[in-house]
Amino acid sequence: MAELHKLVATLRTALEAGTSEPARAQEPPAEVPLAHDAYRAELVTRFARELEAVGGRFLGILTLAETIARLVALAKNARMVAIGKGVAIDTGAIAAAIDRAGVPIMRTAPTTDPEARGAFRDRLARADMAVAEADYAIASTGTLAVLTMPSRPSSLTLLAPASVILVQIGRIVPDLAAALEAFGTDTLAAHRMTLITGPSRTADIEKRIVLGVHGPKSLDVIVVWPHDD
Amino acid sequence: MAMTAGSTPRDFFQASAAGAADHELRRKLENASARHLAHFAEVRGEFTPYEDERTAARAIKQEAIGRLDELLIDLTKRLEAHGCKVFFAANAAEAREHIVKLAQTSGAKRIVKGKSMTTEEIGLNPALEAAGMEVLETDLGEYIVQLRREPPSHIITPAIHLSKEDIGNLFREKFGIPYTPEPDELTAEARERLRESFLHADLGITGVNFAIAETGTLVVVENEGNGRMCSTLPDVFVAVMGIEKVIPKLADLPHFLEILGRTATGQKLTTYTNFIQGPRAADDLDGPRDMHVVILDNGRSAMLADPVLREALMCIRCGACLNVCPVYRHIGGHAYRSPYPGPIGSIISPNLVGSAAAHLPFASTLCGACKDVCPVKIDIPRILLHLRWKETSGPTPPEWPAAARRARAGARRFARMARHPRTMRILSRIAAAILKPVAHDGWIRRMPPPFGNWTKLRDFPRPRPRGRRAVKRQDAEG
Ligand code: SF4
Repeated sequence: MAELHKLVATLRTALEAGTSEPARAQEPPAEVPLAHDAYRAELVTRFARELEAVGGRFLGILTLAETIARLVALAKNARMVAIGKGVAIDTGAIAAAIDRAGVPIMRTAPTTDPEARGAFRDRLARADMAVAEADYAIASTGTLAVLTMPSRPSSLTLLAPASVILVQIGRIVPDLAAALEAFGTDTLAAHRMTLITGPSRTADIEKRIVLGVHGPKSLDVIVVWPHDD
Repeated sequence: MAMTAGSTPRDFFQASAAGAADHELRRKLENASARHLAHFAEVRGEFTPYEDERTAARAIKQEAIGRLDELLIDLTKRLEAHGCKVFFAANAAEAREHIVKLAQTSGAKRIVKGKSMTTEEIGLNPALEAAGMEVLETDLGEYIVQLRREPPSHIITPAIHLSKEDIGNLFREKFGIPYTPEPDELTAEARERLRESFLHADLGITGVNFAIAETGTLVVVENEGNGRMCSTLPDVFVAVMGIEKVIPKLADLPHFLEILGRTATGQKLTTYTNFIQGPRAADDLDGPRDMHVVILDNGRSAMLADPVLREALMCIRCGACLNVCPVYRHIGGHAYRSPYPGPIGSIISPNLVGSAAAHLPFASTLCGACKDVCPVKIDIPRILLHLRWKETSGPTPPEWPAAARRARAGARRFARMARHPRTMRILSRIAAAILKPVAHDGWIRRMPPPFGNWTKLRDFPRPRPRGRRAVKRQDAEG
């Protein structure tokens, strides 16, 4: 790495030449404490409000059974629905139900074969709805935080025009700092991660907001209640 | 299409005069800026810790820039551990050649790009095209200006100088589709066309907003999803970043994201924030097989060596200073002939695109709006003054246009005169007396030559010099 050493040498000289002004004047403000149980409802409300403000749709807090019913209804007119692996939720049950309803589905299976990978992408590009589960949801901005893993590819929340993202109610955190802390530095050093705040959008023509430019045109979110009681 | 590296002062005079005289352009810029400022006021208003976040972000950048050497070593080590190939480019030519070589060795024919001012800075597209590759800009605004074979005119909104009608006409001409000025129809057309390209591209290129040394993560912020496509779908991915993008810790990032979205586009958070640490794992279903990171100096370490200029390295390229700048709003981004227009552009362009942009620090009224709006509180007027001082402390360069040389000689005479208050007072009384008959309702709309140029584009209030007694009274009141 000859180049690095050259650059570092230049930088050191430069740093000395332009004597630094006093470093960090103040520590960043302390983090908001993590939510406790009684605070959950408030977090969900805030999340839902922010999500709708950026053009997403909040489909409610549903039990797993209700979630499945809702997804089957959403998938009714789809030519193909892609379903990723869950984080805390068993998405196999969802896939089975949509399949039973007669809608073609595709699942995500890790592969090391380049051809299988290419075939997966081509199929995914034809799906008009994709279901994924987020690792966390961020209340203050209406954001979903999704890791990329072998059976949870990033294109699942990118290519299909209709994106549906599930998140477990216990995984809603107050703000971005809390989400990054929950992931931890090791996880983020090992995997890609995407923060998704609403459907894809642009304001490049006269600063007018248009939803659905390259990524999903719609983003629906279901907060899943873990018990069917 | 290439950004010519700067231009002469004469070009700037001509281009800015053309921009200022283009009423249509000014209407578009005013329109877009006003809409932008309204969004911004909205999201900023309901976010109380905004000031705290600014302070925190500034402090972090200050620390990061003071430790750039260690942070870059950490970042590089981690990125390499994740499987990235890292290359340091001392200047634009090195970066260009390296990326062209990468594209050639990987056999790339079709390249998709996310918005990246750094790649504009190094003139990457023409180099790739010259090597026989097809390069497609995929950010909607960039796509539009690329179709016009034009450079972007704003760092956040590249096609800000175009109206929806202009774009409707462009699409009709280029694609043979029926004319429509509707932003959603135009966007849908671009989506269709670009989707195919994403799926078939061999190489993707994006810029980088932040690079976290602690985790070896590149953070790419965008709204459209095109950045995600470029970094996820092609087999080879190249990220290009300036050395100043590095921040120390993961926990530092929220401070920047909080303010960047708000000031850049009036959003609490941009739609997609991509955390990219390396190429795909062996059994991943997507992501690039090879990932390259190009870290660019190109004049930045020279800025670091100047204690005043160093502050400009804190810039997070939010574009807010452009939106509030009366000069930018008057003449438009193209007049600057640099990928970085506006107040911050006037500071960094001379250092990044070369001495040909040395006149840009003078293209400012020093009104201070940029400093007020800057999310990391960069004291832009102070740096502009510093650069002016650096540029003018020597003899007048002969290549300056006559008008600029005259203005400079005049300013020097004025400076000498201003040291003698009594002469000043007498002269200003004479001037006021001369100008009195020219004024109407206290305003001067036209002046006799050689001052006529001043009144072509603006009116002046009639000078009313205060008499000696008025001055004394004010002094006494303190
Ligand atoms: S100087 Fe400040 S306001 Fe201007 S682009 Fe940079 S960060 Fe934004």
